[in-house]
Amino acid sequence: MTEIKADSSIQTINWKITGVAGEGVMLSSKLVGKAFIRHGWASFTYFEYPSLIKGGHQTGQVLARPTTALNQKKTLDILLVLDKTGWQNHLDEIDEHTVLIFNQDAGQIAIEDQAKIKSKIQNLAMLTLAQQASGRPNNMNIVAFGVSSKLLGLNQTICQQVLKDEFADKDVKILEPILKAFDAGYQAITTVVTPITPVARKQLMLTGNEAVGFGALAGGVQFYSAYPMTPATGVMIFLAEQQQKYPLIVKHAEDEIGAISHAIGASYAGVRAMTGSSGGGLALMSENVSLASITETPLVILAASRVGPATGLPTWTAQADLDFIIGLGHGETQKIILTPGTVSEHYQLTKQAFDLAEKYQLPVFVLSDKHALESYHTLEITEPITQISKLNMAENLPEDNSFLRYQLTESGVSPRSIPGQNHGLHLANSYEHDLWGYATEEADMTAKQAEKREKKLTTLAAELPQPKLLGPQQAEISIICWGSTVLALQDTLADLNQGGINKVNVIHFPCVWPFPTKGFTQLVSNAKKLAIIEGNMTGQLQQLIMRKTGIKIDHQYRRYDGRPFYSEDIIAWINQL
Amino acid sequence: MSCHTLQSLASPIAPTWCPGCGDFLIFNSLRKAIIDLQLEEKDTVIVYGIGCSGNMADFNRVYGFHGLHGRGLPVAMGIKLANHKLKVIMIGGDGDVYGEGLQHLITAARGNHDLTLIVHNNSRYSLTTGQTSPTSKKGLKTKSTPLGAIEEPLNPLAVALVSKATFVARGYSVQVPQMVELFKQAILHPGFAMVDVLQLCPTFNQEMNHPWYAQRICTLDQTNHNPQDFGQALSKALEPEKLATGIFYQDKTSVAHHAQLPQLQQASLIEQRPTQVNLQPIINSFS
Repeated sequence: MTEIKADSSIQTINWKITGVAGEGVMLSSKLVGKAFIRHGWASFTYFEYPSLIKGGHQTGQVLARPTTALNQKKTLDILLVLDKTGWQNHLDEIDEHTVLIFNQDAGQIAIEDQAKIKSKIQNLAMLTLAQQASGRPNNMNIVAFGVSSKLLGLNQTICQQVLKDEFADKDVKILEPILKAFDAGYQAITTVVTPITPVARKQLMLTGNEAVGFGALAGGVQFYSAYPMTPATGVMIFLAEQQQKYPLIVKHAEDEIGAISHAIGASYAGVRAMTGSSGGGLALMSENVSLASITETPLVILAASRVGPATGLPTWTAQADLDFIIGLGHGETQKIILTPGTVSEHYQLTKQAFDLAEKYQLPVFVLSDKHALESYHTLEITEPITQISKLNMAENLPEDNSFLRYQLTESGVSPRSIPGQNHGLHLANSYEHDLWGYATEEADMTAKQAEKREKKLTTLAAELPQPKLLGPQQAEISIICWGSTVLALQDTLADLNQGGINKVNVIHFPCVWPFPTKGFTQLVSNAKKLAIIEGNMTGQLQQLIMRKTGIKIDHQYRRYDGRPFYSEDIIAWINQL
Repeated sequence: MSCHTLQSLASPIAPTWCPGCGDFLIFNSLRKAIIDLQLEEKDTVIVYGIGCSGNMADFNRVYGFHGLHGRGLPVAMGIKLANHKLKVIMIGGDGDVYGEGLQHLITAARGNHDLTLIVHNNSRYSLTTGQTSPTSKKGLKTKSTPLGAIEEPLNPLAVALVSKATFVARGYSVQVPQMVELFKQAILHPGFAMVDVLQLCPTFNQEMNHPWYAQRICTLDQTNHNPQDFGQALSKALEPEKLATGIFYQDKTSVAHHAQLPQLQQASLIEQRPTQVNLQPIINSFS
């Protein structure tokens, strides 16, 4: 069998920058990613950074294509090194074609070290350039953007506009030196590595967190309470900014227990509410997830995974919380778990989460991870206006306040009233309760209420997003994935099937709970060889599939070192299957 | 539009408290306060913690939320932010509010959320059959502390005061007319109002019975107390020997949390529920 290699006919730019925390390499990367977007290209901007504010080793990288760009890659076209030792961690990403610009103000690369680097090294005093052009050495990251723009053949005016927009809320006294720093970097380079042909289209550049925020707004969110925790914090920051533009309150809560409790209170009172956190914070929310379930209070929860256990690797990615979220909440807690992968899914599924939560009166999780949530993606603009359905409240309530909030129904969904509504009095109760809400320990009612809540999961199943088949209908290998892993797979599909062969297709789960047994078994019924990729050590989806369908998957690729999946590694894995 | 009456408040479930329990009188005083103030049925919400006090949830017919142990206050804050036209009252015990949920008490006070908190303070975990509580005395021997509790008791009034609660009062479960008045003042106060009620527990706290309290209780009014004087309020709260009742502190200039939010100046959050959302105004900064 012929070995598959990356398809060299696909025009791809892979750019990277390294520096210590505080040098602003994340901003340089965002600017490069944005500059591509403004040229009509798609870009994916990925960051690696330690959990500290100054020092340490940080990187930002941008993958750009005139078509789509969904994931970072290894082999670099351009590498800018701002810190003296920044190149050390990336030797396997440098080949003879890589253009390496080394910031000589940081020192020199020793002769014996130069031999380890496959590419030529171009020295450039970027700190000095920043100092001379703008009077501020801090603008070295802007010089780096200028250098990169020229190397990449990006249009100078468009890049300047990117900067003007980035600093639109800042004083002109700040913007002027920044533009000077950019121009100094742009002029310092004479050779263009790859001339870019602009594409005529308008797109957005969003982090996964921002897409979740957009989805929440489009879903009618009016209350978001949270406690800062990487990688979920971005949603709180995004929504906090929107408070004056939309009818929305964002509450920075006292802790995660308070955060979810505030949201449950707001939702009980009738507004669409959401909270979000990562592993440890979600652990603190556990009892309240159970509460939302038994009181049948709608709630949307962003579960933003990072590496655990405990504090783990706070700023790195993992998909190790699937079992945890399925099990979150004691007793038999009813919930939905949506697992968006692409930026568009982060938007769409968060929006849908609000409809599902309100209609079925239960907690709905949007489970994602650092990789998808903190990276910048490209989103084609869709319809910016969405309709929010009217709150479905019980009608014709008896005047003697005998309305039965927890009535047993065929669908499991009971009519709902909210405070402020005449004659809708009821008790939302963390105790098991009767039809009105009063506590009961009676055996028959205990079982009936539990069954009623469970029944909702069957009723709603038809509305859930089903597993999706990507690539050819029939393929030699079907790779199963969930959440952000689809980014790497979808970005690699063209390589894997180049020349029109049907080597690989992908089965992606945008929702894992309630488990879509029917949709999944239908998709895999004709599969020749099944394989699965997961960002955890124990194969959590693989085991769930086994438990729910009895289907055994023989080939797996798991990663649990904090790093996301790379095309290069996926291709190597497929080659040895 | 109908206001709560004794009939409307009546639940089919009879109280399950022990004979002589202070909860009965607190319960009746709260009902009287609600009726006297003509609170609307539809606009009154009571949030209950878990404990003997929280069991009151079953004995009222109101919009109620019987939440988790310690976590009633943040639910109450959320309800009030979502619809500040509601009157939100929180019923909890000393274990619930001063133990498990102390962080939320401090938060509700610091944020001046417009809630009325009534704490049934009997210095015991009585629903779990009488363990030591945050307000129990040092050295107390209970089933969970057979060697004697080492912790100093928490001073809830002082905690509320230094956490910037704008209304802090103490009642005693035997002094019904005063309790009714304190509850009414607390409900009317525009901001966070806490009424700590010293409560008899004849089953699990026989030491702190009525004669024990009778030797220590005094009312603040008799001492010409000025509730607008924060320093005086704090020093009265810290008095070790006397257990004064009445309004320790009230900030007459209090502006509630929701009233400080620009989003809620024109209407409550629920009244602003969108029928349509247009993302266009914010899209441009992401393009």
